[in-house]
Amino acid sequence: MSAPPKPPPLTTVESTETSDSGAQTLTLSVGPQHSGSGHMRLIVEVDGDIIVNVAPDPGYVHRGIEKIIELRNIIKSIPVIERPSIIDASNLNHAWVRSIEEIQGVEVPRRGQYLRTLLNEMNRIMSHLYWLSIYGVFLGHTTMFMWPLGDRELFIDLAEKLTGARITYSYLVPGGVRRDLPPGFAEEAVKRTEYFEKRLKEYDRIFFNNPLFTSRAKGIGVLSREKAIELGCTGPTLRGSGVDADLRKDEPYAAYPELDFEISTRPDGDSFSRAMVHMDEMRESCKMIRQIVKKIPSGPIRRKAPIVLPRGVAYGRVESARGECSFYLIGEGGDKPYRARYITGSYRNMAAIPAVLLGNRLADMPTAWWSIDYWPVEADR
Amino acid sequence: MSLSHEREDGLIQKLKENFPSDIKETNVIRRARLEVTVAPERIKDVAIFLRDKLGFDHPNGVSAVDYNRENRFEIVYHISSIRIKEMRDLVLDLKESVPRNAPKVGSLVSVWSGVENYERESFEMFGIIFDGHPRLEKLFLTDNWDGPPPLRKDIRFPTD
Amino acid sequence: MSAQRTAQEEDPVATLAEGLSIWVGKLSDLVKKVVDTGPIRNVINWARMYSLWPVNITTACCSAEFGAASGARHDLERFGVLPIGSLRQSDLIVIEGTITKKMAKRLRMIYDQMALPRYVIAMGDCAMSGGLFHDSYSIVNGAHEFVPVDVYVPGCPPRPEALEQAIIMLQEKIRRSKVYEQG
Repeated sequence: MSAPPKPPPLTTVESTETSDSGAQTLTLSVGPQHSGSGHMRLIVEVDGDIIVNVAPDPGYVHRGIEKIIELRNIIKSIPVIERPSIIDASNLNHAWVRSIEEIQGVEVPRRGQYLRTLLNEMNRIMSHLYWLSIYGVFLGHTTMFMWPLGDRELFIDLAEKLTGARITYSYLVPGGVRRDLPPGFAEEAVKRTEYFEKRLKEYDRIFFNNPLFTSRAKGIGVLSREKAIELGCTGPTLRGSGVDADLRKDEPYAAYPELDFEISTRPDGDSFSRAMVHMDEMRESCKMIRQIVKKIPSGPIRRKAPIVLPRGVAYGRVESARGECSFYLIGEGGDKPYRARYITGSYRNMAAIPAVLLGNRLADMPTAWWSIDYWPVEADR
Repeated sequence: MSLSHEREDGLIQKLKENFPSDIKETNVIRRARLEVTVAPERIKDVAIFLRDKLGFDHPNGVSAVDYNRENRFEIVYHISSIRIKEMRDLVLDLKESVPRNAPKVGSLVSVWSGVENYERESFEMFGIIFDGHPRLEKLFLTDNWDGPPPLRKDIRFPTD
Repeated sequence: MSAQRTAQEEDPVATLAEGLSIWVGKLSDLVKKVVDTGPIRNVINWARMYSLWPVNITTACCSAEFGAASGARHDLERFGVLPIGSLRQSDLIVIEGTITKKMAKRLRMIYDQMALPRYVIAMGDCAMSGGLFHDSYSIVNGAHEFVPVDVYVPGCPPRPEALEQAIIMLQEKIRRSKVYEQG
């Protein structure tokens, strides 16, 4: 590679300038190498230590997936689709196969729907646990970094039993799923979810009821209900602002209409609310996993689906761990899509980052920023 | 899906009554998915009507599609409703077409502030200019990107 | 040329400094020889092997498996690998996955800011050759295009065990190499 031109400085002071009110402001560049996690740069303008302006600078993981999908067969695209949110792979995969099936008009057998839902809910727990562990890093709470990553392995093992891979499954294919339940899976799943629910109580004790966390998160990074709707936020960010919108209830897909679960919302819209929404969702997912392994009907897991994408348009969406993940898919009759627009939860919640940070102190930035559950790889695609 | 489309037809009816000459085409893809194509000059009025009168207050995203054989870009605003609970499963695709050689349209940031990032992305990936956008600059591409807008259909990158 | 020399001869401080630097140079050559042959080398390499602190930078999705490897079950800290925020105190970059053109510049800057010795592990197929995204318009096909790489870890993403093996291989490499030729 030839010598690149001089890039802007990393975590350094860029300039001082005088704002309209006469106060001196300072422009800081945070990232992409910062002490949290995530390949994201924020250009933050501070007045004293109050944040007065934020400009996210994403694109450090922009891999041009929309272009790549246009050049590949719809089945070969599945691993590419999964990579943006590797910790939540099956939900993204579900959005893709759902939009393909919508155009093809393929109905998935009920057992296949249940297996899809099972992996989706396991993935939601894994993704939330990963989020929680990075929240621990952001807040300097090493126990909360170690515990969720250790408990995440419980579900990684389960998923490995089911699909054969740790985190990148490519389990959902148009028409159904790849593999059936292995023997002894149901007992193992019940055992592990019950153990995990006990662990969640301990999380509450050491982290969520801990003044170290609550004093840093309550009232910080407030996103009002109106603002959240107007900015098009989704997922836990929207539900943390008091909106009970969840595609699993609003537009029931797969096996969700037959399951008993609740949507967790919190009215305050601060970092603490968003964190608690994540916690409640993990509990609900545990319940759902137990219901699924109990209720799962027998029958085929997969129906034959054509490998071509007929002419047509579909807007397929699912509720992934970070919010609504959707594909705007246009088929033209070949085995490749004409256009596949890929909008993920993090991309939509990116609009909320400035809204959440403005007016807070610089020291509160990590708490507020990471409470949005912004996964840069998913946003950049 | 062979369910009735009363709700969707009702929405289209309301739009057609209020904008008789600007709604060029309407299409119900399936239950809860409908497409409305409008003239680019009047898209802002239609958008404000949708937001204020029909309850579409939640932007889901913006897609741009390059129909290079027909020599046009299509810009699609996917919008849904949070305020009306019964309509939350519904996604309305508000479409407009611009000629490929002069891709310039009005921005809808003043209607739904959430579309800012999507319009920026359409600008850098397709070269579509949004008039009235507060910050129309690069979003994802590298700082010294000098190539063409990469998602246009006629652009091919060498594979190695 | 001659004028310069006379100026130096007249300035006793410059003469002294020049002489001193020659002596320091000779002395350091001697020290290097002694260190690299004697048991001091083993001690230094032993210290370096077990304090590989990686920079806290993630480039793409392999960071999920890096996180899992640092977490409770796999616990990379038992090999002395502790992610650290400061570039000055870190010795290792684990390039976790796809490197975009935008990130490559920053990654090279980070590499340049690190103190010697420094090591690079390229984790994942994308960091080796572009992997799944080899035909994309915005990525660099492999980390070796802009930084020297010590160990490659194949896999998409590699399992945490593979990363552990890479760390062990890097430690073996450090153990065998000379003190002043590392990084």
